[in-house]
Amino acid sequence: MTALPTPIQPAPPRTTARAQSQLQVAWGQFCRNRLASTGGVFIILLYVLAIFAPFVAPDGLSNYSTTSITRYHAPTPLHFRDPKTGAWGLYVEKFAQTMNPTTFLQEFRPTGEKCPVRWFLPGDTYRILGIAGNLHLFGTGNPNCKIFLWGAEGLGRDLFTRTIYASQISLTIGVLSVLISTLIGMVMGSLAAYFRGWVDNVINRFIEVISAIPYLFLLILLRSLFPQGANPILVLFLLLCILAFISWGDLARTIRSQLLSVREQDYVTAANALGSSQGRIMFRHMLPSMTSYLIVTLSLAIPGTILLESGLSFLGIGAVEPYVSWGTLLNQTQDGGIASITDRPWMLIPGFFIVFTVMCYQLLGDGLRDAFDPRKRQ
Amino acid sequence: MVTFLFRRLLNLLPTFLLATVLVFSIIQLAPGDFLTPAKLNPGISEQQLRNLAEQFGLNKPVWQQYFQWLWNLLHGNLGLSFSYTQPVLDVAWPRVVNSFKLVLVNLVLFYAISIPLGVYGAVRQYSFGDRISGVVFYFLLGFPSFFLALLTIFGILKFRQATGLNVPMIGMTSDGYDSLGLLGKFWDTLKHLLIPGLVAAVGGVAGFTRVLRGQMLEHLRSDFVRTARSKGVPEFWVIYRHTFRNAIIPFVAGIGGLLPGLIGGAGFVEVVFSYPGITPMLLDAIGAQDFYLVAAFSILPMVLLFLGNAISDILLAVADPRIRFN
Repeated sequence: MTALPTPIQPAPPRTTARAQSQLQVAWGQFCRNRLASTGGVFIILLYVLAIFAPFVAPDGLSNYSTTSITRYHAPTPLHFRDPKTGAWGLYVEKFAQTMNPTTFLQEFRPTGEKCPVRWFLPGDTYRILGIAGNLHLFGTGNPNCKIFLWGAEGLGRDLFTRTIYASQISLTIGVLSVLISTLIGMVMGSLAAYFRGWVDNVINRFIEVISAIPYLFLLILLRSLFPQGANPILVLFLLLCILAFISWGDLARTIRSQLLSVREQDYVTAANALGSSQGRIMFRHMLPSMTSYLIVTLSLAIPGTILLESGLSFLGIGAVEPYVSWGTLLNQTQDGGIASITDRPWMLIPGFFIVFTVMCYQLLGDGLRDAFDPRKRQ
Repeated sequence: MVTFLFRRLLNLLPTFLLATVLVFSIIQLAPGDFLTPAKLNPGISEQQLRNLAEQFGLNKPVWQQYFQWLWNLLHGNLGLSFSYTQPVLDVAWPRVVNSFKLVLVNLVLFYAISIPLGVYGAVRQYSFGDRISGVVFYFLLGFPSFFLALLTIFGILKFRQATGLNVPMIGMTSDGYDSLGLLGKFWDTLKHLLIPGLVAAVGGVAGFTRVLRGQMLEHLRSDFVRTARSKGVPEFWVIYRHTFRNAIIPFVAGIGGLLPGLIGGAGFVEVVFSYPGITPMLLDAIGAQDFYLVAAFSILPMVLLFLGNAISDILLAVADPRIRFN
């Protein structure tokens, strides 16, 4: 009796797909999340807008006329067609301040003069990424007949221009300070986890102290370290550091606790046995185990910091002239009593930029968190 | 119980001391001296200045100054406010109380909104209401509290113009407050607190609700809930007595740490609604370099932290009978 040789099964065809790294898997997951990737795209658009702000804005950041007063100029409506001649073409009407004979109040009235809107016209000079230019996307070319797309603020400066410029500050400060605070948090957390003992104790106590004082008061207190009239650039830098200083605690704590468990893993023992230096073990072996966690916290911390920065600027202890952030612009809604807010609702527009940016970052952050979470894979 | 609370208090003491060191050193590093603005004030005499300098030991080394300041602090002497020429405690304490009232209303409204939403979201998971509340509050998460306050004021002003109804919002009391009775005073203040409290509360609802919903869902699937249902416990009790009580334990433990954050968060709202709380005065004090006042405002809320921690410990024992304090 001869045993029938079992027919040899042909090997299953080799799939061409190669093993994906964790980042590749996460990226694939992220791209499938429609909401999150939309948020990401809008954030990229916002940054592009911020970089090209001087080009998009029709006016210079701090330009205002001392002859024709445009204080709280209402938004100028855009007309597409001349009602008299019927000719097509984008134009705005020139407004001038006249006194109302019955109420004796200064009012903005159209003078009847028409200023056609022109595209790509030369105007205020600026620098984008070091390249000088003077071309603007749109404008009228007539300094006495500006387009106030979103009205003007207290000094008569164009609010649209200022909002676009403000995005440069608002979008950078939040991100940079989160990066700095992550760096501090990582270093402090790993120091505490690696050395334990008194280092751990001191760092933990310090975090506790920072979180015990209400954050707003600590921010105000830290800001008072520096004179009110300091150099505007220095103030921005300070803002960055102050925001980073108060927010690294939570991250350091989490990193510490995570690393304490990683420390007992075999590969750390192995690295130790092979004679790796402490720095190498910490930064080459232990910290990379937290990459996905870091990416997620980073993206979820940015919206919070943007909110905080706008709040500080709103209180008048953030960005100072000539630099503006969205918070600074909102600060002016309170000038002349809060009740006057209904007379100039356009002053609220910069706030919606904050909301939009924060929303996009939140969607992005949540999307990234889901993408890195193996339980939520689709 | 008392010994437990006392031990907790002792635990917080180093934090408190370190915080005073931090506050004191920041103020020391700030340009100018405690007395710089006072010297410019004609209302303060030379004699008073010398007394103050001696009382706070301003001519001694820094570490001695710190201990003297701390000693005075422990005796309730927080120094003199230069812009108000009054003892700091008299100026600052009413503001701290006002802020605390706002935080209290804020907290009550916050839980009154988020707890039912979180429970509803878990019990009727993926229902229409669950999704709507999720989207709305997720959206509100993106609003800075001061911007939400500005929008609310804008809305109320428009509402007032349209209907002529007087909705109280600015300040803490209406005109003629002093002539009201005790109950009238209470009601008047509460009316003024409702809108700012609500504005400060809604921003954070999304985060809390989402976590509570998750906790509830986890516990709703557990064995003891099935047991409770099978022995015929009414559904309401299953949800609130068996599930909810377990789900809120992590939050109760966190109430103490929540307070400093809440005071900060309410600060923005105080500024917009010109509510006489800590933050508006603190900003003025910074501008006027009234450092004793600044120091007091940074230290006094720490008392709230002690209180909050004690309250959360007591609540924790109420919510979780497994916790014993001995």
